Amino acid sequence: MEDIRTGVYICHCGLNIAGTVDVEEVANYAGTLPAVVVARHYHYMCSDPGQALIKDDIKNLGVNRVVVASCSPRMHEPTFRRACQDAGLNPYLFEHANIREHCSWVHDDKRLATEKAKDLVRAAVRRVSFHEPLEIKERPLNPNVLVVGGGIAGIQAALDIANGEHRVYLVEKEPAIGGHMAQLDRTFPTLDCSECILTPKMTEVGQHPFITLLAYSEVEEVVGSVGNFKVRVKKKARYVDEEKCTGCGVCEEKCPWKVDSEFEMGLGKRGVVYVPFAQAIPHVATIDKEHCVYFLKGKCRACQKFCDAKAIDFEQKDEIVELEVGSIILTTGYDIFDTRRIQQYGYGKYDNILTGLEFERMTCAAGPTEGKVLLKNGQQPGSVAIIHCVGSRDENYHEYCSRVCCMYALKYAHLIKELTKAEVYQMYIDMRCFGEGFEEFYRRVCDEGVNFIRGKVAKVTDVALTEDEQGRLIVAAEDTLLGRMIRVPVDMVILCPALEPRSDADGIAKLFTINRRADGFFMERHVKLDPVATATEGVFIAGCCEGPKDIPDTVAQASAAAAKALSVISRGRVVIEPTTAQVNEVLCQACGRCEEICDFHAPKIISKDGLRVSSVDAALCKGCGACAVVCPTGAMSVRHSTREQIKGMVEALLEV
Amino acid sequence: MNLEDIINKTKTYYCLECGKCTAVCPVSRHNSNFSPRLMLERALMDSEGELIHDRELFSCLTCYACSHLCPSEVDYPVFTQKVRSLASSQGEHGDCAHSGTLLSLMRLMSRPNIKQRRLDWLDGCHTSEKSEILYFVGCAPYFEPIFEDIEVSPVNVARNSIRILNALGIEPMLLPNERCCGHDLLWTGDVETFKKLAQFNAEMIKESGAKKIVFSCPEGYRTFKIDYPQYVKLDCEPVHITELLAQNLSKLSLRPRAKREGSNPEVKKVTYQDPCRLGRHLGIYEPPRELIKAIPGIKLVEMEHSGDESICCGTSVWTNCSSCSKEIRIERLSEAKATGAELMITACPKCQIHFKCAMVDKGAEKGADVKMEVMDLVNLVANAMETQE
Amino acid sequence: MAEFEPKIIAFCCNWCTYAAADIAGTSRIHYPANVRIVRVMCSGTVDPIYILRAFEMGADGVLVAGCHEADCHYLNGPLKCDAMFEKIKKMVNTLGLEGERLRREMIAAAEAPIFAHVIEEMVEQLKKLGPSPLREGVKV
Repeated sequence: MEDIRTGVYICHCGLNIAGTVDVEEVANYAGTLPAVVVARHYHYMCSDPGQALIKDDIKNLGVNRVVVASCSPRMHEPTFRRACQDAGLNPYLFEHANIREHCSWVHDDKRLATEKAKDLVRAAVRRVSFHEPLEIKERPLNPNVLVVGGGIAGIQAALDIANGEHRVYLVEKEPAIGGHMAQLDRTFPTLDCSECILTPKMTEVGQHPFITLLAYSEVEEVVGSVGNFKVRVKKKARYVDEEKCTGCGVCEEKCPWKVDSEFEMGLGKRGVVYVPFAQAIPHVATIDKEHCVYFLKGKCRACQKFCDAKAIDFEQKDEIVELEVGSIILTTGYDIFDTRRIQQYGYGKYDNILTGLEFERMTCAAGPTEGKVLLKNGQQPGSVAIIHCVGSRDENYHEYCSRVCCMYALKYAHLIKELTKAEVYQMYIDMRCFGEGFEEFYRRVCDEGVNFIRGKVAKVTDVALTEDEQGRLIVAAEDTLLGRMIRVPVDMVILCPALEPRSDADGIAKLFTINRRADGFFMERHVKLDPVATATEGVFIAGCCEGPKDIPDTVAQASAAAAKALSVISRGRVVIEPTTAQVNEVLCQACGRCEEICDFHAPKIISKDGLRVSSVDAALCKGCGACAVVCPTGAMSVRHSTREQIKGMVEALLEV
Repeated sequence: MNLEDIINKTKTYYCLECGKCTAVCPVSRHNSNFSPRLMLERALMDSEGELIHDRELFSCLTCYACSHLCPSEVDYPVFTQKVRSLASSQGEHGDCAHSGTLLSLMRLMSRPNIKQRRLDWLDGCHTSEKSEILYFVGCAPYFEPIFEDIEVSPVNVARNSIRILNALGIEPMLLPNERCCGHDLLWTGDVETFKKLAQFNAEMIKESGAKKIVFSCPEGYRTFKIDYPQYVKLDCEPVHITELLAQNLSKLSLRPRAKREGSNPEVKKVTYQDPCRLGRHLGIYEPPRELIKAIPGIKLVEMEHSGDESICCGTSVWTNCSSCSKEIRIERLSEAKATGAELMITACPKCQIHFKCAMVDKGAEKGADVKMEVMDLVNLVANAMETQE
Repeated sequence: MAEFEPKIIAFCCNWCTYAAADIAGTSRIHYPANVRIVRVMCSGTVDPIYILRAFEMGADGVLVAGCHEADCHYLNGPLKCDAMFEKIKKMVNTLGLEGERLRREMIAAAEAPIFAHVIEEMVEQLKKLGPSPLREGVKV
């Protein structure tokens, strides 16, 4: 074994350190420590001449361990590692002592700060004596990308990647892509038709040579790590041959059984065999097995009789598709808050109380009322109340703001005015109109004579107190600007429900080994600086699965996630950090405690030359060290955070 | 003591290089890098002082299987102990199991100012402030949280030991600030700390006025009986609980375990694991067997290797616990299974810990095959007695 | 005689509490110089031996601090740390160590003032308690 020759460099950081710590004393002290061959102090170690000191000593004095005592390693550890590497020393033979953030900036007693700096330097010198050269490894990478969720986020991400001529597998659990956006009528604040801007993109997905669309499919299993994921997808049986079906719609027409259409939010009907909506991609029919009389009672087959393309196939089975991809983008979207949970608002109890999405279908020209705003009795409403923040900004349900409701509520007000001339009441807490053109749209709607009442609605009732209220819905609230209770009798109430995490978000998070925030949405790696990455390398998130957002933000995020995936692809290989767990096979007893505790499935008990031992997949390992703590024999340890290194620091810190 | 002194003291130079030691060594059977014969040979030729840096120095279980058969009476375990103390002074310590936590706790018990809270489990036990008989609890209160996951409760053994003593009309005295006996530190080579612990214990025992010290742990027993006299003066007699109980069998009125509610009434055949310290170190083979045989409805069946041929539980002094250790345990548990016994009885907390740990086995091929109940002899006796209530 | 100055070892996770201590620095939030921070990647990687070794070497107090549950860079590190901590707490309690000497905190990166406060509070408590009974040969 070569002798350890440590170089120690104390940074003044101008007066940031030297003003409180006697840097010369610390350097002199460092020179007396075991295996230290040179100890210097300098104005700015991070500067080029500062780094040159290190490089020269490595070359001229044979320094083979480097300690810099300066700012936080979170700041300049990479800088000094690079300096070591430039001089031919393995970058992991460097250790950083934090004598600025943790010392000179938080203490004013010079004596105490200097003593502390000495302790920290001594600990770093001890730690670095246990350091080992580590190698950054690389592995080939599969350029294919899996996108999960075919709403606007998934569509955008898939197109961005496919347009770069990389294979994309787009998995959608519903029979057709389009997501919530396909159900929207017009988009705020520009009022352009949602379908008109979405349909071309959906068609492009359907026809793109680099996109493999797996609709009516769900991901069942994900193994592997960035660059090399293996994904098992279940393609659910449609009982319709996708290749043969022309989407002509005859089957649906002939199907004698009708059920509520999910796409129309139950305001319209669909056949049991159906194409979810006119522009659906893929444009093929699906048999709803749960309601199909043939499946229930063994008789009917009306659809089969009338299908010219012979596409109906009652024998079809679920199919398992195995995919190999290098990165994954999750765009699984959101659920709508169940407004029945707030009983005071009377949804489901009274007629003419709609959710936002139901109202979207109502104003859509292709919708169940052909774009007419109608009450249950077929009349136009004379007055409409729009209740904001239903389930949002409410500690009983969701603390967060759902971010889109204010704006679509304004859009509804505008549309109601345009289509019915009814009185409109906006019952809001705060108007949040922060996006491009939003404030202008708010002004415009104000000018259209819409009533804005600042107050959270207490209840919606049909119990009339005056003649005027008879036979109408009464919205009770406090107008907090006037400071008085008000009762607004209206014909129709529209609720603006919160956007909430998908009911299956927990399962999805576990499947892809990512985190969820306290609010239940998927957690980004860093809320500000890494908003589309997740805790798992190579798994990205975009759109409302990460939190409520509008279409422009969703699209921007989807493109960001696509760019992240493309950046993984264009690097062309997986870089594997060396600071991962390692197994001493002599000590390992294959008990499996490591496998059990790891949240990233990195250690696995395998058979090796007839002996069972734990083996760590370095690409999966994050180097957290939980496995090492539970390992009873000490077989497991983490490179660059070994017990010896940490224990050595503790011992050195307390030695004097 | 230097290497030469050690060689003289342990009669290493008498070694005939016959290899009996290696042939019987459980470690050598699974770890080809380890051989007691070669270790001794190297010691005799070790001019460079390399021996103390050999990892395998810490692989020896000090189980005495070798010296028990040695035609020249070379004391290989003591040789190991002494060479380890040389190695220890140069910072060598082998691979610490449990990250060295247990050894650290033992060292911390040598600190002069500690006031331990080690007796908060005495629930239902009768002890007295002053008695001629002292029960030495040992490390049980420290082991307790560490081995929760494999469901070993050394504290329960301590509790049952006192209850059994109570049944014999003995209300033993306990030392509220009892220190670790130092066994593991002595055998890992930390003689200095061992001496401190011995002195603390000897002083406290002297003050207590006890005439007899009862152990349920064979290691504590061995340490007090053989090692303490070399360092401190003890005016009392150490005794293992199995010896004491075997002498008082008639007073125990043992009943079949079957009648006890909640226990498995089917257990009839049991086998007995001789702990190395109790067996080959001290020659106590019969008292535990007499106790087991005295319990009605239980039949003792012997393993292929039993008594002085018994095989160790695979790790000693929380060091170098390795794949080899696991193999030894699997081998031993397989022998136990082969007897048709449903229950393995041992008289050492560490045997119980190590055998139960071997059954934690992911994929479970081996671990599952050898799954069986392991119980301390004290608990078996206590169970048989509790039927009286 | 000079006032007793306790020695504290703080194991801080790289992502949260170590960063909080960094921010305490950049914000010039002062706290007593009795603490020495050891950077670990995750609170869930703090091995009981680190804590015991600190006490063996004469620490008067040990702090184990890392992310709040929801912030963990490694998903469930804080829970793993809690499990370890419960065990070590029992061990040092048996050794007779006062509860205040071994402390577990969750301090997010943004909570620099809390970090400073925890150190202040510990120093104050440890000064009252005096040197650790686990120290070698300290006369009480």
